[in-house]
Amino acid sequence: MNQKNESIEKDNELADFADRILKGRMEPPASTSDEELLSLERTLLRLTDAFPQDPLDDAKSKQMLVRLKARMRREEEERAAQPSFWKRLFDFQANPQVGLLVAVAAIVVLAIVVLPSVQPQGSAVSGTAFSGSSIFTAVGLIAILLVFYWMSRRK
Amino acid sequence: MQNTLIPLQDASDEDLIQKYMDGYKEAFDVLYHRHLPKVYKRVRYVVPENDVEDVTQEIFIAALKSLSSFRGDAKFGTWLRTLTNHKVAEFYRRRTRKQEPRLAPLSDAMAQVTGGTSKSMEERIFLQRALQELPENYREVLLLRFAEDLQFNEIAELTDQNLEATKSLFRRAVTALRNHLEK
Repeated sequence: MNQKNESIEKDNELADFADRILKGRMEPPASTSDEELLSLERTLLRLTDAFPQDPLDDAKSKQMLVRLKARMRREEEERAAQPSFWKRLFDFQANPQVGLLVAVAAIVVLAIVVLPSVQPQGSAVSGTAFSGSSIFTAVGLIAILLVFYWMSRRK
Repeated sequence: MQNTLIPLQDASDEDLIQKYMDGYKEAFDVLYHRHLPKVYKRVRYVVPENDVEDVTQEIFIAALKSLSSFRGDAKFGTWLRTLTNHKVAEFYRRRTRKQEPRLAPLSDAMAQVTGGTSKSMEERIFLQRALQELPENYREVLLLRFAEDLQFNEIAELTDQNLEATKSLFRRAVTALRNHLEK
């Protein structure tokens, strides 16, 4: 019980010391004969010495606001000048690999769609004839895609 | 209706936010000047001198961007304090990614001349390093008392503790700081 009271007393003493130095009443840490408390008071003095409590002056805070606004304006302009993500992604001139990927993907999709129609029709016996019109459609679409890809690269 | 008649300087934080959302851009300036001293001081305690203004700017830019999401569940000051801690942590994460030391080496102090002599800068960096290494609740109680100049009873209220527990936490924090400084 006594130990607890002593501990509370030390807490209060250190808190009071902090209050005093923050009010500007800097005093040498000799308010106590307790070695432990004395070293803690010295630590607090080091802290207040290293970070003086001088307030931020009006002129400096105004300058900081001006610089903040300039930075925000600059960042806004940079953002506005930058093309959108999709525009950048589909800029095939800058990203030819993406263009190629899109073309290949389109061909694969087309092949998947068209393949059932180029399967042998009828029974296994009745033949191996392919639907000529389906093949022509597929080849035509692939050709159109390639032309589009070639044109986008030339731009 | 009554709010529109209150001069901006006297308006509460919440009213200023509302005014800003309604298009009164000057409301942000008032909010900025009102909270800058505390934010700046807090950042100064934990971030190297050269980066203090940059980090402070980032805090206010982030605040401005997310003002619309501020619902007023907590006080604006508390919300801004959380944002400040988040941005300081982000600053150190960025430094670690760039493989810069977590805190500026003491030799950096020699190159800095703003805000004091190189010896006092060295001491400041030494203390910043020790503060950064403290557990969060210890660092927080020290910053609330020293950087934000809150009284112990205000800290107790803010942290939902009684005064006795707050002062005890404060003494443990100072002890931890002293031990780090003695290492």
